[in-house]
Amino acid sequence: MFRYASARIAQTVVVLLAIAFIGFLLVSNLGDPLASLLPPDATPQDRAALIATLHLDQPVAMRFLTFLKGLLVGDFGISYRSHEPVAALIWERLPATVELAFASLAITLLVGVPLGVYCGIRPRSALAKAVMFVSIAGVTLPTFVVGILLIAVFSVKLGLLPSFGRGQTVDLGFWKTGLLTASGWRALVLPAITLSLFQVTFVIRMIRTQLMEVGHSEFIRFARARGVEARRIWFVHALKNTLLPVITVLALQFGNIIAFSVVTENVFAWPGLGSLFLQSIQTADMPVISVYLIIIGAIFMMLNLLVELSYPLIDQRVLRERA
Amino acid sequence: MTPLLDVRDLSIVLPREDRDLVALNNASFTLGRGEVLGLVGESGAGKSLTGAAIIDLLSPPLRRSAGRITLDGERIDGLTPAQMEKVRGRRIGFVFQDPLTSLNPVLTIGRHFTDTLLSHFDISFAEARRRAVHWIGRVGLSDPELRFDQYPHHLSGGMRQRIVIALALCCEPLMVIADEPTTALDVSVQAHVLKLLRDLHAETGVAVLLITHDLGVMAKMADRVAVLYAGRIVEIGPAARLLGAPHHPYTRGLLRATPSHKAAAGRLEPIPGSMPNLASIPSGCAFHPRCPRATEICRDRVPVLEGRHEGDAVACWHPVTEDRP
Repeated sequence: MFRYASARIAQTVVVLLAIAFIGFLLVSNLGDPLASLLPPDATPQDRAALIATLHLDQPVAMRFLTFLKGLLVGDFGISYRSHEPVAALIWERLPATVELAFASLAITLLVGVPLGVYCGIRPRSALAKAVMFVSIAGVTLPTFVVGILLIAVFSVKLGLLPSFGRGQTVDLGFWKTGLLTASGWRALVLPAITLSLFQVTFVIRMIRTQLMEVGHSEFIRFARARGVEARRIWFVHALKNTLLPVITVLALQFGNIIAFSVVTENVFAWPGLGSLFLQSIQTADMPVISVYLIIIGAIFMMLNLLVELSYPLIDQRVLRERA
Repeated sequence: MTPLLDVRDLSIVLPREDRDLVALNNASFTLGRGEVLGLVGESGAGKSLTGAAIIDLLSPPLRRSAGRITLDGERIDGLTPAQMEKVRGRRIGFVFQDPLTSLNPVLTIGRHFTDTLLSHFDISFAEARRRAVHWIGRVGLSDPELRFDQYPHHLSGGMRQRIVIALALCCEPLMVIADEPTTALDVSVQAHVLKLLRDLHAETGVAVLLITHDLGVMAKMADRVAVLYAGRIVEIGPAARLLGAPHHPYTRGLLRATPSHKAAAGRLEPIPGSMPNLASIPSGCAFHPRCPRATEICRDRVPVLEGRHEGDAVACWHPVTEDRP
């Protein structure tokens, strides 16, 4: 177990370094920080001072180390667009995205898992067929179309829910939350549904396929031949076998929810990281772009690491196969 | 005395769009208390399906189309799924063929036992554990306490098959259906597992429906043997008589194609041709295209299973009468 865990962690660190390096290459090679940051009337002294602050006079290796050190202590550089520290920009937007992501994840789990299990156990039932039919829409419709449709129906036609923004937020000092006000919850509904629709259908289809496959295996037949109760067979013998792929994909999907909330945030003018990222691309704000990419990469890697560390708890064989 | 298991006119069909293919055709046989009945035949003859049909575990779209199955005086065909759950494992155990795929890879050995026991008996977990450990030891595994917490991949194929057998017997059923219990094992391990089966049969008096294509296994274990060909029972009788002086040309062909330990008994004679598949079963006696004794009538009419009595019968228009097998 120790060997398994340390190998996983070492791999994660290597990939994180690679991601940081790519992020660093973006900042150091694209765009001109001096032109972006200096006012038009800057003196050569200002120029020299800025070069020193940004360490532009140092060799590449040193600059990468400085960049890495900055990442570790939360110093992400300065935005070319707003001239504010990138860390502050990100921190201001992060709560919106995180709350949206968790809301979507909750919908995905609460709707996707039970429906998936049901469709896997009773694939021929009318409800399962209906769910599968509807889920085709969820898999094929692009996010922005879903978002616009929802806005058209629930905001424009019915006027039930707001079509943009986060509603009223409450500042807890370190975290601006929209979860403490009614308008915040109302504003969350449409974007969360939009963002989770693909995930929900994806999870339903995957759990269903997995369960149906496991349902045909010899050990399930043998369990039935021993008269093990149906409830035990499905929720212990079968479901545990589907957990590895399901957890893996769920974690990656959560990464996707965060990373690809870009489109949803844009459709609903949600003030999160995704819309910050789009604004930064439009203005070639390299420090923000690179830090955003590094953060998304780090989130993916951490989720992946957690998943891999949980494998041995579910299926002991991974320890033997990889040792 | 009524037999323990009485199977009457059991038929199994595989539905197709145009017509139903018949995988088992009107099979009738009985199994007495403590008896070992062998079902023998080539793969595809319908012997595994017969076993699965008895405990209502046919894989769809295969289904039972006719037949009465009586266990210990009670009909068990047509039970509800919940009632059938109580029969499986508790009254009829089932030994699966492949120990490598029959055990759930993510559950401990112990969990296999406790889930089975707790499904059938109103006992505490501690009691289920005690019985599980007892059975793990009884089928010859060392350190049963340790095995209880191990996973299937920690055990060898032979050990896993012992576990499979223990699982089939742990609820003390009246009979077990053993579907090719030694086929997937190494030859050296086969002998051990076979001995274990015989010992357990002798100790517990459990009746066994032994399904195998291996006539050697049959000769060692079975009291009576039924021979299946293309979905029909073509011969049934006491093992000594049937294996010593087979009446059906197919049974004789099988015996002549089986290597014998008595050595130098002569060359092996394969049966010409191969068993027909379900979609193209020949008219009359299904064996006639491969049979050296076949005549006009064999092509036209299906022979009925008849003999001195129901327990010793052959379905053939020209049964073998000479002594030599």
